[in-house]
Amino acid sequence: MTIRGITKRIGSIKFSCVSPEEIRKMSATKIITADTYDDEGYPIDMGLMDPHMGVIEPGLRCKTCGCKVDECPGHFGHIDLAMPVIHVGFIKDIKMLLESTCCQCGRLMLSEDQIQARRESMDKMEELGGGTIEVKNFSKETAKDASGKGICPYCGCEQIKIKLDKPTTFREVEDNHKLTPKEVRERLERIPDDDLVTLGIDPSTCRPEWMVLTALAVPPVTVRPSITLDSGDRSEDDLTHKLVDVLRINQRLRENRDAGAPQLIVEDLWELLQYHVTTYFDNQTSGIPPARHRSGRPLKTLTQRLKGKEGRFRSNLSGKRVNFSARTVISPDPLLSINEVGVPIFAARELTVPVHVNEHNIAKIREMVARGPAPPNDNPYLPGVNYVIRSDGRRIRVTERNCADVSEGIDIDYTVERQLVDGDVVLFNRQPSLHRMSMMAHRVRIMPGRTFRFNLCVCPPYNADFDGDEMNLHVLQSDEARAEARILMQVQENILSPRYGGPIIGAIHDHITGAYFLTHNNPRFDRFEAANVMFKLSDIEMPAPFIDEATGEPYWTGKQLFSTVLPADFRTTFKSNICQNCSVCRKEECEYDAYVKIRDGQLLCGTIDVKGIGNSKGKILDRIARDYGSDRAAQFINQVTRIALGALMNHGFSTGIGDEDIPAEAALQISNHSQECIDKVTDLVQSYQDGTLAQMPGRSLRETLEVEVMQVLGKARDEAGRIAGKHLGMTNPAVIMAKAGARGSMLNLSQMAGCVGQQAVRGERLSRGYWDRTLPHFEKGDLGAYARGFCSNSYKSGLSPTEFFFHAMGGREGLVDTAVRTSRSGYMQRRLVSALEDLKLTSDGTVRNTIGTVVQFRYGEDGVDPARTVRGKAIDLDDLFAEVLGDRADELLHIDTKDIGGDYGSLEKDEMEYIEEDESEDYDDLDMDYDGGGE
Amino acid sequence: MAKKDTMKALINRDVSEETAALLLTRYNTLSAISAAGEAELVDLGLSEEEAASIIAKIGKRPASSSSKAKKAVEEVVIEPMEEVTEFYEFSEGELRLKRISEEVRTEKGLTVELPMKIIVDIAARIKNADFDDGICRQLIETAYRMYTAHLMDQNESAGVMAAHSIGEPGTQMNMRTFHYAGVANINVTQGLPRLIEIVDARRVPSTPSMDIPLTGIAAEDENVARHVASNIEMTSLLDIASIETDITNMRLIINPDVRKMESKGIRPDDIVERLNKVKAVRGMVEMVGFDIVVSSDEPSYKKLQVMYDAIKGAKIKGIDGITRAVLSKTEGSWKIVTEGSNLKEVLKVEGVDAENVMTNSILEVADVLGIEAARNSIIHEAMGTLGEAGLDVDIRHIMLVADLMTNDGYVKAIGRHGVSGKKSSVLARAAFEITAAHLLHAAMVGEVDHLEGVTENIIVGQPVTLGTGAVNLIYTPRKGDKE
Repeated sequence: MTIRGITKRIGSIKFSCVSPEEIRKMSATKIITADTYDDEGYPIDMGLMDPHMGVIEPGLRCKTCGCKVDECPGHFGHIDLAMPVIHVGFIKDIKMLLESTCCQCGRLMLSEDQIQARRESMDKMEELGGGTIEVKNFSKETAKDASGKGICPYCGCEQIKIKLDKPTTFREVEDNHKLTPKEVRERLERIPDDDLVTLGIDPSTCRPEWMVLTALAVPPVTVRPSITLDSGDRSEDDLTHKLVDVLRINQRLRENRDAGAPQLIVEDLWELLQYHVTTYFDNQTSGIPPARHRSGRPLKTLTQRLKGKEGRFRSNLSGKRVNFSARTVISPDPLLSINEVGVPIFAARELTVPVHVNEHNIAKIREMVARGPAPPNDNPYLPGVNYVIRSDGRRIRVTERNCADVSEGIDIDYTVERQLVDGDVVLFNRQPSLHRMSMMAHRVRIMPGRTFRFNLCVCPPYNADFDGDEMNLHVLQSDEARAEARILMQVQENILSPRYGGPIIGAIHDHITGAYFLTHNNPRFDRFEAANVMFKLSDIEMPAPFIDEATGEPYWTGKQLFSTVLPADFRTTFKSNICQNCSVCRKEECEYDAYVKIRDGQLLCGTIDVKGIGNSKGKILDRIARDYGSDRAAQFINQVTRIALGALMNHGFSTGIGDEDIPAEAALQISNHSQECIDKVTDLVQSYQDGTLAQMPGRSLRETLEVEVMQVLGKARDEAGRIAGKHLGMTNPAVIMAKAGARGSMLNLSQMAGCVGQQAVRGERLSRGYWDRTLPHFEKGDLGAYARGFCSNSYKSGLSPTEFFFHAMGGREGLVDTAVRTSRSGYMQRRLVSALEDLKLTSDGTVRNTIGTVVQFRYGEDGVDPARTVRGKAIDLDDLFAEVLGDRADELLHIDTKDIGGDYGSLEKDEMEYIEEDESEDYDDLDMDYDGGGE
Repeated sequence: MAKKDTMKALINRDVSEETAALLLTRYNTLSAISAAGEAELVDLGLSEEEAASIIAKIGKRPASSSSKAKKAVEEVVIEPMEEVTEFYEFSEGELRLKRISEEVRTEKGLTVELPMKIIVDIAARIKNADFDDGICRQLIETAYRMYTAHLMDQNESAGVMAAHSIGEPGTQMNMRTFHYAGVANINVTQGLPRLIEIVDARRVPSTPSMDIPLTGIAAEDENVARHVASNIEMTSLLDIASIETDITNMRLIINPDVRKMESKGIRPDDIVERLNKVKAVRGMVEMVGFDIVVSSDEPSYKKLQVMYDAIKGAKIKGIDGITRAVLSKTEGSWKIVTEGSNLKEVLKVEGVDAENVMTNSILEVADVLGIEAARNSIIHEAMGTLGEAGLDVDIRHIMLVADLMTNDGYVKAIGRHGVSGKKSSVLARAAFEITAAHLLHAAMVGEVDHLEGVTENIIVGQPVTLGTGAVNLIYTPRKGDKE
């Protein structure tokens, strides 16, 4: 155990090659036999499983260090190769060295002056802080300049060009003479140290001749453990298999060489040894067949162990497994606070928090330990203790049986691992963790059941739904970690997204419908109803009621009830989502009740919907989070969602297939209109065939037709939607949801009630299938609306068989698109993170990377944190003027409020959404519903 | 340049094969030979006359770009740019506020300056009101307070925040390319593929396109605009004429399509003139009646075919690389939208509002207008792509990515060939991609990893150097302090 608070840090890591001498020196044993175990099942000495190299079986002791399994880290062995072989990983570097140095004297083939100049440049680069990459490129250039010389400038020896026969054979170009690894090694040995430095190689860490192996290091047994199968057979690791091959061939090669076998045989064996050593390092070397297991599976050798997603680096070094974590299915609980998470008792009994025993808490802890690891009664839940760690670091497992004794033995300076209790800080996470809000700190609430539960408002940051999603929970183990989590990671600290400076946590779905019912047109509630709306808000007093003049009964208004959750001095003005964008805004007199005005914490007019409290759009939420702090914002979200649900439950709300019923006359109107459009398309096709269609500039005739047809049919759908929408009216639940921004859009509705519209693949009308037609139901060459994927029916009325097929085509494209998109965007994000992860804001306001290069002199040109911006603006000017000038700001500035408004950029946004809706085909909306259930 | 090519080039210049071979034992390229000078050539065993003639034959050549690039850069004489005289001039009101803000700053001893943008914004709001210095001061002070409260915290991992903010909405974008917004129906890659393309810093985007506003009468008059467009759009011979191969007389007959030529504003003479500049048919093109005839100087089918291939794609008019130019009218003035991009040439075309020409090819912007322009281009393109998809991403994130991509003077990609591949840490590079190669090379040159970045520290199991991990503070209790 380390001393608390002070840990050793690794300063730096130096990489180097190992010389053959060093391999032999560090080797615990020389390995000569290819056999692993003898008949009794004991490892053979000087075999690949020699116990000098560490132990894998419990009970045995390592012959080198005398430690048992888990204590002995393992020790390297070595194989003396009969003949040298080339290390594949360095093949390019060897080639570079051979080409740029003289074959006789080994000098770098540049004149003294040139070498001197190069060295000076390199020193300069180092001085100026050039990275290894620059030096690497520079020395590459040096090597290139030196290579290809006909005559060595030092010894005047004529150079013979060398070519590389992939993967590991060098040949002299002229007579195709093969350079044996031995010759290569001899040449490399001749290169003087000074010239190596010029080529960017540090001779003290890597002499080039070490790249031609004469001794092979054998990794410890612990690196390549064998597994015992159920049948009692041993199954060796891939590396062991490969080493067996190397040893066998090495043995044969040595015997043959010593026996003076013909040159040809020796060379063949030598090459075979080279093959085995090559595949031992990298079994995916191009140019040679991969070594295979008996079953035909390619072996996983050294390089394969390291690289790739499942490799050592990405899987075990960059990502680590942890204890004190839990994973289970999630489910919603609207009555939890947004920063709480419901943890099942089951999980809470397994997850522990270490508590240091001191004189103040010892009595309590003794009581807790005495309870044992599983107190029988779960109601109320009382935490037990799973482990006790004594001052000397010994762990004692607390059991039913020993809990009383252990409890007695607890002393100051012990640490106990107690089970979770309400209020513990834990991290909660859902994959894919795409942004920092995918992992937030919650407070624990122990609950019965078997799922994690949390408030629905927290779904958007996690991108969670409850169709079977699972989430992870991590219990923090140190005070530092808990403090950090509480200050930086708690849910309320993350209400404002750093992506766009607006709230990402806020009311969703039913909350918004509820708020709409509570505030739209200011409904009245009698005592009973008002209590119904408010009863979940325990810490809010009912405001004083109005008195009805006619009856003398007290009543409350919706806006009044809503105002109870607002901060007392809150003020803002904006337009709701239901705003119709009239040409002249009548403000307070708005006929749709869409102009929201809040003064002194009282909602004076307007409807609260997604633009007020919704996630990402909610203006009230935005302002509270910014001006009143995160805790107040969390409180507001908790309260506003409860009051909204109260209102919704009081009102009652449901939607069903009946909501898409439209009167017969409307249906007739729609079908008439779509028939008209279809006729128009027929006319267009006719004129195309006659050649009378007017060609658009820069388009072929066919393209012109397609564009025009798409336009006509697009209008057909919109018109159908408009007619349907007109007949559905603002009392229709589906319309309310769409207009208030709770769920669904008018496009969804018009497809259900009006007409599904044109189906598209790759943004064009459907055209593929059979020759010149999409389905055999149509004539060849038919370009009409129905033949090319127009669905004139609605989802409600039901699609015809051909329409159904076309719809499936469009839908399939959407699914494929989603699948492709996730992988592509995942890789893009991985690259972005890898490129940007090291950048940080330094104390002088600059953004720098690890080596101190300035990337930005001032972060974002103004140093402002995007999460604290007001939708990208450094400060909110409206706030500024309101604060300095008070309510008279607008008059004083002589500006019409319309120009500035509290409604930044909403018009552009709306227009954009409109265009988007127009452009995107139906499946874009559909795939949202499809993505569930696939966990 | 390979030796073989050099050999060819020397022989082309009437240097005997022997001499050439001799030269090649020492020099790889023509430029190397000319750089060596006569004296060195004499050393090689040539007579002085020979050496002189070789040098003369090769002529003065700029050093080849591959190995002598650095040298070449030094040699280029940088012409002084035209001095920029038109700056944005701050108005009286803006300057007054700036003065007040400076006063407030020195008075309070603040280290950060209030950004000019905020001052300008405030000035714009109060320009109609007549405020005395007192109120202005109050405004500035409040603005200062708000601004400093919104500053980013020290040691904040700005990079990760940017990467998340750009990457996360990527999952919500669509893969399709759709039509260009507006009248001009030119396909432009949008959505995720385009975003990937931008961070990849591709040399040529998958759908290069330019947006060319016009000035002067061209902006007003459709016909003039059309003329400008025809000067921009590349027209090849086959676009305006058909070619017949007359085997009996061994010649090619070009039949110009009068209507098409008229619409492009090309006269037959232009074609002749143009074609006469094409190497394979130089001086063999002439008008015969309404047709243009290209006669072969040697009676061989091969030659005829060579000629045909040479002229069929010959550029008659327009700018290389621009395959289509479509007119569109926005806000009362004409502009041209193109398929294909060639910024350098388009800027020279008359009638083009050169200052406002846009291209979506970032590398081209970097080449023509410099690295700062490329940075702005990245920001503009990325913001546009995200905006088109209806996604709201703070511009600061994109700025950071753009700055990182351009901060050492040329455009680097985000990925293993660019930023990630140039990291200073071996472990970080190995953990990203091409693991084995990085480790082996590190071993060869004896690289040292100082564990300063994020990945390295995670690998060795230490706190990272960002955020709370950046602070190294150990509390040492004073003597006498008990508990």
